[in-house]
Amino acid sequence: MQLSRDIQVIKEDNVTHSFCGLACVGWMYQKIKDSFFLVLGTHTCAHFLQNALGMMIFAKPRFGIALMEEGDLSKNEPTLEEIIREIKADHNPSVIFLLSSCTPEVMKVDFKGLAHTLSTDDVPVLFVPASGLVYNFTQAEDSVLSALVPFCPVAPAGQKSVVFLGSVNDVTADDLRAEAEALGISVGGFLPESRFDKMPAIGPDTVLAPIQPYLSRVAVKLARERGASVLHSLFPFGPDGTRAFWEDLAREFGITVDLRDREKAAWEKIRNQTELLKGKKVFLTADTMMELPLARFLHSAGADVVECSSAYINKKFHARELEALDGVRVVEQPNFHRQLEDVRRIQPDLIITSLMTANPFVGNGFVVKWSMEFMLMSIHSWSGVVTLANMFVSPLQRRSKLPAFDREVWLEGVMPSAE
Amino acid sequence: MRLAFWLYEGTALHGISRVTNSMKGVHTVYHAPQGDDYITATYTMLERTPQFPGLSISVVRGRDLAQGVSRLPATLQQVDHHYNPELIVIAPSCSTALLQEDLHQLAAHSGLPQEKILVYALNPFRVSENEAADGLLTELVKRYAVAQEKTRQPSVNLIGFTSLGFHLRANLTSLRRMLQTLGIAVNVVAPWGASIDDLRKLPAAWLNIAPYREIGTTAAEYLAETFDMPALYEAPIGVEPTLAWLRSLIEKLNTAGAERGVPPIIMPKMHEFSLDGQSAPSGVPWFARTADMESFSNKRAFVFGDATHTVALVKFLHDELGMQIIGAGTYLERHADWVRKELEGYLPGALIVTDKFQDVAQIIDDQMPDLVCGTQMERHSCRKLDVPCMVVCPPTHIENHLLGYYPFFGFDGADVIADRVYLSCKLGLEKHLIDFFGDAGLEYEESEASSSPEEPQPSDGNGHLSPEVAADVVPIAEEGEMKWSDEAETMLKKVPFFVRKKVRKNTETFARGNGDSMVSVEVFRQAKESLGG
Repeated sequence: MQLSRDIQVIKEDNVTHSFCGLACVGWMYQKIKDSFFLVLGTHTCAHFLQNALGMMIFAKPRFGIALMEEGDLSKNEPTLEEIIREIKADHNPSVIFLLSSCTPEVMKVDFKGLAHTLSTDDVPVLFVPASGLVYNFTQAEDSVLSALVPFCPVAPAGQKSVVFLGSVNDVTADDLRAEAEALGISVGGFLPESRFDKMPAIGPDTVLAPIQPYLSRVAVKLARERGASVLHSLFPFGPDGTRAFWEDLAREFGITVDLRDREKAAWEKIRNQTELLKGKKVFLTADTMMELPLARFLHSAGADVVECSSAYINKKFHARELEALDGVRVVEQPNFHRQLEDVRRIQPDLIITSLMTANPFVGNGFVVKWSMEFMLMSIHSWSGVVTLANMFVSPLQRRSKLPAFDREVWLEGVMPSAE
Repeated sequence: MRLAFWLYEGTALHGISRVTNSMKGVHTVYHAPQGDDYITATYTMLERTPQFPGLSISVVRGRDLAQGVSRLPATLQQVDHHYNPELIVIAPSCSTALLQEDLHQLAAHSGLPQEKILVYALNPFRVSENEAADGLLTELVKRYAVAQEKTRQPSVNLIGFTSLGFHLRANLTSLRRMLQTLGIAVNVVAPWGASIDDLRKLPAAWLNIAPYREIGTTAAEYLAETFDMPALYEAPIGVEPTLAWLRSLIEKLNTAGAERGVPPIIMPKMHEFSLDGQSAPSGVPWFARTADMESFSNKRAFVFGDATHTVALVKFLHDELGMQIIGAGTYLERHADWVRKELEGYLPGALIVTDKFQDVAQIIDDQMPDLVCGTQMERHSCRKLDVPCMVVCPPTHIENHLLGYYPFFGFDGADVIADRVYLSCKLGLEKHLIDFFGDAGLEYEESEASSSPEEPQPSDGNGHLSPEVAADVVPIAEEGEMKWSDEAETMLKKVPFFVRKKVRKNTETFARGNGDSMVSVEVFRQAKESLGG
């Protein structure tokens, strides 16, 4: 599907405050319960997972770092046999994902060959490109799913069903499945399912329905390799996105449904929230790549989206969202220095931003919401509508509840380097 | 190559940014792939910085490497334009360090004046957080400190106080209070809150205070060598060390004062150091003598951490609270010799030196101490084992960055540490009662025993991925788990809950030694007899 007209996407460069692809370990290892995520990386990768993701709380996590130390730099190929043995002995995984990182990428480690050598019939080792040289934040989930493709059985022609693309928690998955079935759509499963041996069958009559906006590569791969068709719709967030998603998906199955009333009822349910959002200037600084559908929901809800930035925009995969955002300033790979100037000039009412930048924006007098929180909440489809709306409204309401704040008084000495 | 989960020390980049984030007018530019500036989040979230830390990333992408282009000159121009810093520190990350680029030349392409730029390229595979921070601070001091007139009245510099330091603000406050009581001025605190100009005027002080072995000592040594400035390297942790520190401080300043004809500083009455100005400056000496604390003589403590705190805590627990030290260690191999020397005579065995938290967890598991003083890692290990643990040094977690006044330094600090020891340990009289009456009425505590009040909740509400992650923690069955008969299990229930794990473990070890595959009532009784439980 092509854009009906050329939507302007401003492309910038440099200084985007966000995480690298390794961040996906944080949720993927939980989603696929019999997996182990092994990063071939350095102290930096370990420190990142430990600190930025705040995941230090687990006694025995199903992820780890094959730590490259100075002596390993001179070796031709890393030897991971011993580490793989250790992982198998301690964790007994069904699958090991081998994630690349920047240092071995620079060293031109042959990851594909390495994964192939380490693989056994019992426990495959799958290469997942994730390094910050190429991939941002959620993009490595795309890599994980691509690596899983060979382990999805081939669905025979004529077996028409939907496979949802994207990792969501079980409650959301159950909900999407029930909704599809209620519409008369046969559900083939989810990529990924929560167990490695339960990956869905995909074939020429599979309709792939992406439920996360950062999975363009696996969609293309499956279309190419299995002849599956890919749903091009809005992503199922908010009343507008949810209606479009289900109507379009039903159409793929030759089912005509009119969900206008349902959408109306959903908007009605969040009327208090949208009243508050109306006309509010919202700025999304780019972080998780969920920005486009979030901005589109805000736009539909009557907010004034002053900038929607995202680390990666795919004009084909995101076509419908971009269309719906017509007239909104959309930036790919924004430059944070420029954004900061714009924010100070525009004075948005709400900023959706990364963990790295949230508190400083608050210190500058703005109201913020962590972009990462949208990944950890059930905001999909009809049942997620209220949660989604509340996530934008809650920081605004909280600010109005707190007493007046004199920055001169209450921030003194908090950050001496900035005084 | 080894399989690592958690590491004690951060990276060189982290060390560098801890120094620059502390300073006014200094900006760090990471020459690194997307995401390597994740460190920014540790400042904005743990320190809750209300301004943007002076950290920018000049993103290096795979295709830039292929095409041989670099954004660094442009980034430097942008940073200069937007922030106008006095100094930009350029630091490569582990991957870009391998590229062996000439960063000086790349930086020169920006057209920025050379004196505005410092390329700090360490080998990130060899140098970690503390060494990098200590090194950069020294480099900056060398670059800017200039000989000048001393202040007229006695003054000191406080060196090594660095962003994300353990209880940094409270320690500074505690030192400032004592200095104020003595009438000693603080010339410069560095790097915390220091500008480049402050670094220039470091030599105006009479003396340097550099209490952290990890960061600041090298800079103080340089200042001693180059500007003939005396220094105080001890950490005033504990009552006796604080008294010794005060005496030494006064003596050193008075020596300098005598040359300058300034009247000597006289040690004030002890109560002048107290918070209300009219009481004992610390409750610890009396507290340690109270009958309640006698039971602490039998308590076995294990200490593991950085250099400064490991040494200080071993001495404090042993010397001032009269506890037994069953072992100690550090993850800082670089400082192990110093720690060993400081702790001569304190340890029953060799100092443990490792950066593998699993090794430390194993020792704790084997020894089952009554108290562990450690890092967040030990805290997590101890949680599994139900061993009391208090965090005494980095690596930290959000709950080690609190709002209240909890110094570790000075008299105030001694009280804070003693309180934490007391709250962490099972208590004296209470313990007797429980021992005597068994589980009467206390059974309910078992389920809570693993979450003490200041325990970090898995979902720390700080946007960490933890909320969902935590819901998923599955108890891991130990290999070769020993079975217990129902009767033996019932008998075990009569053992006070807080020693139950230990008794279970000891009994199982005893049973295994006897070749038993199951703990029956008989085996349990034998074990009790044999182990004196």
